[in-house]
Amino acid sequence: MIKIDHLTKRFGKTLAVDNLDFEVQPGVVTGFLGPNGSGKSTTMRIILGLDHASNGRATINGRRYCDLKSPLHEVGALLDAKAVHPGRTARNHLRALAASNKISKSRVDDVLEFAGIGSVANKKVGGFSMGMSQRLGIAGALLGDPGVLLFDEPVNGLDPEGIKWIREFFQSLAREGRTVFVSSHLMSEMAVSADQIIVIGRGKFITRGSIDELTATAQGSVFVRASDATKLTEILTFDQGLVQKINDNGLSVSGLTSDRIGELAFLSGVVIHELTPQRASLEEVFMDLTADAVEYGSHPMGDVDE
Amino acid sequence: MSSGVTVASAAKSEWIKFRSVRSTIMGVIVTFVLTIGLGALISVAVRGHYNQMDPLRKLTFDPVSTSLGGTLFAQFAVGVIGALFITSEYSSGSIRSTLAAVPRRTQLAIAKLVVLFLSLLVVSEVACFITFQLGQTIFSGVVPTASLSSGVVLRSVILAGIYLTLLSILGYSLGLILRHSAACISVFTSLLLILPIVLFLMPQSWQNHATKYEPSQLGQSMMSPTSSVNSFGAWTALLLLIIYVVVAFIIGVTLLNRRDAGVS
Repeated sequence: MIKIDHLTKRFGKTLAVDNLDFEVQPGVVTGFLGPNGSGKSTTMRIILGLDHASNGRATINGRRYCDLKSPLHEVGALLDAKAVHPGRTARNHLRALAASNKISKSRVDDVLEFAGIGSVANKKVGGFSMGMSQRLGIAGALLGDPGVLLFDEPVNGLDPEGIKWIREFFQSLAREGRTVFVSSHLMSEMAVSADQIIVIGRGKFITRGSIDELTATAQGSVFVRASDATKLTEILTFDQGLVQKINDNGLSVSGLTSDRIGELAFLSGVVIHELTPQRASLEEVFMDLTADAVEYGSHPMGDVDE
Repeated sequence: MSSGVTVASAAKSEWIKFRSVRSTIMGVIVTFVLTIGLGALISVAVRGHYNQMDPLRKLTFDPVSTSLGGTLFAQFAVGVIGALFITSEYSSGSIRSTLAAVPRRTQLAIAKLVVLFLSLLVVSEVACFITFQLGQTIFSGVVPTASLSSGVVLRSVILAGIYLTLLSILGYSLGLILRHSAACISVFTSLLLILPIVLFLMPQSWQNHATKYEPSQLGQSMMSPTSSVNSFGAWTALLLLIIYVVVAFIIGVTLLNRRDAGVS
């Protein structure tokens, strides 16, 4: 289990992680979702003891990472697949990691085979594609057969087959009772690979839940076609609905359920021709959740002339 | 089941890393070529014009340090080996997987130190003994020679190897402090080459006091059987160089512990 306890990290004046507080439970795949620059990688680096927290702490099974006696046996991590000396072979890279934690050479060969890079084990890592590097990183994470696994943006650079493989792999790790913590900036990826999703933005905790729960809390809209769109707009707006005119008699309504819209139309004598709840797309949900927390968002440009 | 990461297991890991990259292999080859090759060239040149030397120079001629002259060039090669041992971890980003495997950073720094010290000690001593013997063979018949059967001669050759070993540790310590290969090699070269030039521009009285503290002068003192004016004896020079290296290493380890490993 990973526990993040009032964690704060400052880089100079920038607040990268702002009082984060959550737990990651074993047995499920937990997604860590947020826009670029929201503090996901920083949080993961602090969990691994690479960056020092400015405040609060991160623990694994109740202990800080640097207090783990044999860290690779407890935690496996893939943060940056390309962060390997390019002149070293894949096998030597893993053998060096293994030796520090007293892991056998045969285990190195096993994880190389498992990750599907056994045939290039004696090749220099510098020549690896992104996909091969990701597989090497995964092999490294599995070296000590750890109960807790962290992956930072693991599907980046993987081909569709690799993505399918890695999703099933995460699920199988979780089924074995391990803690699996996977970050991504893509909601659609989280939707198919994670059971639980923790959403952060600008270093702050935003929400957590299953994909269905997150989608349900997000504002969906209802498409309405009615005989008198103008009159209906007035009534719905009066009832706190947010109405957007789509075409002559078509409206997009948010803030009200389709049931309530139907009732209001009935009471005011407007004939409804169509009433369709529009489920928000995953990306809309994500944008909605993190709207206030995008660090590098795009804004409309002002006029060039004053 | 394992009993956790120790300095020994971390050193085993670092030994695999040290010998599995080409920069180390190249560095060791260059160290041999410079120490032995240039040492031999210097000896041949000295033999060639020894008879034309003025009597005073003949009187103070030292066949030991002359035959070890290649170390003055090899000191840059060993410095680079030491520096790259840590700076390549930062430039490639592998420092992160290294620290994930060995989270106690002092332990990691010591493990690297042990691997670097032992391997460079073997390389340097072998190179120094070969170049010494080769030099004496070249000298024989024309130039006075020295023999390892003399205690001070043996000491000089051994300390020449230790000088190179300590300089590789100095390069490594600078690497811990600076983290960037280029910055580290510049500073290392400045200490050995630029510092003497700067001191040379100072008043003579200053020079007499300051020059003997330069790392390269300490090296000269260590590999000379007799101590000359305005320089330290061999053991004092060794002690001073060890102090330099230890101070640099302690600063490096302190910074390693204090800084985030994620950003470089």
